[in-house]
Amino acid sequence: MTEATPGLAVKLSLRRGALALDVDMALPARGITALFGPSGAGKTACLRTIAGFERDSVGSVTFGHAIWQDTARRIFVPTHRRRLGHVFQEASLFAHLSVAGNLDYGYRRAGRPEHLDREGLIERFGLRPLLERRVGALSGGERQRVSMVRALLSDPALLLFDEPLSALDAAARTDLLGCLESLHGTLETPMIYVSHNIDEVARLADHIVLLEAGHVVAQGDLQSTLTRVDLPPALGEALGAVIEGEAVGLDAHDQLVELAFPGGRLWLPHRQETLGQKVRCRVAARDVVLLRQPEAATSALNQIRCRIVAMADADHASQCLVRLDAGGSALLARITRRSWHHLSLSPGDEVWAQVKAVALGA
Amino acid sequence: MFSAQDLQALWLTLRLASVVTLLLLLLGCPLAWWLTHTSSRWRRPVAALVALPLVLPPTVLGFYLLMLWGPEGAVGRLIAAAGLSALPFTFRGLVVASMLYSLPFVVQPLHNAFEAVGERPLELASSLGAGPWDRFFTVALPLAWPGVITAAVLGFAHTVGEFGVVLMIGGNIPGQTRVLSMRIYDHVQAGEYHQANVLSLCLLVVSFAALLAMTLLRPRRYARD
Amino acid sequence: MKRFLISCLLACAALLQPWSKASAEDQHITIAAAADLHDAMDKLIASYRRNHPGATLEVVYGASGMLLNQIEQGAPFELFFSADSSYPQQLVAHGKAGGTPVPYAMGHLVMWSASIDMSQVKVADLSQQRFGRIAIANPQHAPYGKRAEQALHAAGVWDAVQARLVYGENIAQTAQFAQSGNATVGLIAESLAKASPVKGSYALVPATMHEPLKQSFVLTQRGAGNALAKDFASYVQSPPARAILAGYGFSLPGAGH
Repeated sequence: MTEATPGLAVKLSLRRGALALDVDMALPARGITALFGPSGAGKTACLRTIAGFERDSVGSVTFGHAIWQDTARRIFVPTHRRRLGHVFQEASLFAHLSVAGNLDYGYRRAGRPEHLDREGLIERFGLRPLLERRVGALSGGERQRVSMVRALLSDPALLLFDEPLSALDAAARTDLLGCLESLHGTLETPMIYVSHNIDEVARLADHIVLLEAGHVVAQGDLQSTLTRVDLPPALGEALGAVIEGEAVGLDAHDQLVELAFPGGRLWLPHRQETLGQKVRCRVAARDVVLLRQPEAATSALNQIRCRIVAMADADHASQCLVRLDAGGSALLARITRRSWHHLSLSPGDEVWAQVKAVALGA
Repeated sequence: MFSAQDLQALWLTLRLASVVTLLLLLLGCPLAWWLTHTSSRWRRPVAALVALPLVLPPTVLGFYLLMLWGPEGAVGRLIAAAGLSALPFTFRGLVVASMLYSLPFVVQPLHNAFEAVGERPLELASSLGAGPWDRFFTVALPLAWPGVITAAVLGFAHTVGEFGVVLMIGGNIPGQTRVLSMRIYDHVQAGEYHQANVLSLCLLVVSFAALLAMTLLRPRRYARD
Repeated sequence: MKRFLISCLLACAALLQPWSKASAEDQHITIAAAADLHDAMDKLIASYRRNHPGATLEVVYGASGMLLNQIEQGAPFELFFSADSSYPQQLVAHGKAGGTPVPYAMGHLVMWSASIDMSQVKVADLSQQRFGRIAIANPQHAPYGKRAEQALHAAGVWDAVQARLVYGENIAQTAQFAQSGNATVGLIAESLAKASPVKGSYALVPATMHEPLKQSFVLTQRGAGNALAKDFASYVQSPPARAILAGYGFSLPGAGH
C-alpha cells in the first residue's frame, strides 16, 4: 500500500447526436468519485464510454496498469473483459431470472470469489426475503438494491453507478442512500457515481468531476472543488462546503445532533446518526449569512468563526461568492454585493458564518 | 378410413414441416440476430430479400426453382459437377424449397423478438462478464423465447399448408414429395370428394394439435422491467 | 373516422365490380380443353376466327378430370374437350351435359427426351438406368397418365421403374418436366411433343400397349343454347380443322363418326 496504485485515466471524445463529449480526467484508485453536472452535460455518455459500450469513441482509457482502450494503438478491450459493475438508472434486472438468479449471474461468471461476502451483502441490503421472487413483483427501491448487489457480486475492479437513485421515490431514495453510505465505509473498489443531485454527491463522494456541455470544467477532491469561486454559472447551485466530522453530542429532547469538525461545532436535525459516527453535512453557499460579530438573539443555531480568503463575482450581478476558512475547513458564502460593501468586508477579515440547523438537514 | 397412401402422405407432411421448421430456426436465429445488431448498409437489402417470399406467388417460386435446379440451370449444373444428386422431385429438394418459402415467417418474428429484447439487458450481461455467445444463450434467447415459439408455429403451419411450391417442384412422388395437400388435390381432381374431405379434416386436426402443443411452450409475457 | 370507413367500403365495392363489359353471350364462349390440346386448340380457334371475326373464344387448359369436376360444380364453360371419352360420358351420366359426346381425335402416347435419342427406344428399355427419371401424368386422373401406366405394365417394367417415376398434375406439366430436363424421359402426348419449344426426340408407344385415347368433346348445359358453341363444335369436325389436328399427330375418327 506504499505506492499509490494508478486509478482510472480517461481521455476520450465521442459524438452522440447533439453531444460532443471531450473529456480528460484522472480518478483515484479508491473511494467514490462523483460525476456531476446539469442534464445533457454528457455524464451518462461519459460513463458508457468508460464501460466500453460506445465502440466509436476515440481516445484512451486505462485503469491501473490495464489498458482498456487506446484508439491510436487499435486496442479495445470488450466490456465483458473489463471487470466492471454497472448500475443503471432503471434497474434493468433480467426478467427471465428470479432475484437469486440475477444476483448470481455475475457471481458465477466471476468464479464465485471467496473474498466476496455474498450472504453478508444480501443481509445488509435486505434482500433475504426477496430471493425467490420474480423480478416483476419488486418495487423500484427493491429492484435497485438487487441491481447494486448484483453488480457488487460480479467482483468488479471498478463500479459505475449511473444516477441509481434518480428514479426512486423519496422514501426509497433515503433508504438506499443509507445503504450506500454504509457501503462506502467498507468498499475497497473505486466507484464512479453519476448524479445531478448535489446532496447525494455531498454525502457519498470523495472526489468530484464537474462536467458541462461535454467538457470537464473542474476535477479534484470534493471539498476544495465545491468551494471554488471560479466555476461556471450552470454549477452555481451546487456550490457550498461539505463538512465531514464526527457526531459528538446527541440531544434527545430537541432531536438534534452535534457535529465536530476542525473549524468548530455544528448542530443539525437528528436523523439516524449515532454517537461517534462519521457524519457529512453540506453547507450550501446560499444558506450562509456573514456577521461582523456573533449574535446571541438569533434563531440560527450555528455560528462559526472564520477568515475571509477571497471574493469573486457570482452568476447574478447582485451577488458575490465569498470563500472562507474555518480552522482549515473551507466554507463558501453567497451574499449580495451590497452587503459586501455595507459591511466593508475584505480578504483577511475575521467574520462569523451563520447557518440555520434546518438548512443543514438535507 | 385412411388408406396406406393417405397415412404415408400425412407422415411425410409432418416430417417435412418439422425438418423445415427446425432448420429454419437454426438458420434464422443468426440471421435475425445480425439484422437486429448490425450497422452494415446491407441490412435493409437483406431484410427486403428475406421478406420477398411473402409477395412471391408460391407457384412462381416453385417454377423458378425448378428451372434453376434443372440440368440447364446454374445451381443444377453446380450440383451435378459436385457429384451430388439433383434436387427437384426429392424430399431434400422440397425441404430447401420450403425453407425459402417459409423463411420470412420464421425470420421476421425472431427479428422482432430480438429487437424487443433491446440493448440494455445485453449491455448489463456484458458488464457482468458474459461474452457474446454467453449473452446470446443466457439472456437474449430466453428473453426472446416467446418470439421463437411464434416463429416455430408460423414456420410449421406455413409448411404444412404449402401447395404451390410442391406442385411445381415435387413431382408428386409417394413417400418423397406426395404431401397431404397434394393428396387432397389429387382426390379432388379425381372426383373423390369423400376422401378429400376426410383428409382435409385430418390435416386440420393434426395441424391444430401441433400448434396447440407449441403454444403451450410459450410462456406469457415476462413482466416488463 | 366515419367518412374514412365509408370511403373504404366504397373502394372495396368498386374493386369488386367486374371490369370488362360483358359482351353479348352469343359471341363469347369459354372452352375447357385437355392439356394435350395446348397448341392445337389455339390454332383451331385462330383459324375459326379468321372466318368469324366478331366471335370471342377463350380457352382454359387443364387436366381432363379436373375440368370435369369444375364443370360439374358449375364452372362457366360451354364446351368440354376431354383427352378421353370417359369424362364426357360421366358428364352425360350426371345430367350436366348439353349434348352427346363426339369423338374429335385419337391421341397417341410417345416417349420424349431432350437429352437422349429416343428414335430406336422401346418401352421395355425404360428399365435401364440411363433413362433416369421418367415423368408420367398422374394416372389417378389424367388420361395420358393412365395409358402410360398401362403401357409400362404391358411392357413388364412397371416395378422396375416405379422408384424413378415423377408424376405431373396434367400432361402439360409432365411435358414441362421432361422439357426442362428435370426428367430424362417423359411419356407425353404426341401433340405436345410436336409443339415442344425445346428440341428433343421421341418414339411412339405402340397403341396396342394401352387403351385407346379416344378424345371426345361435349357441349355443356350452358353451351347447349349457345349458337357460337354449336357452330364451333361443327367446325372442329370439318376438314380444315381435321387437317390442323392431323398436323399435331392426332389420328382422326372416320368422317362423320
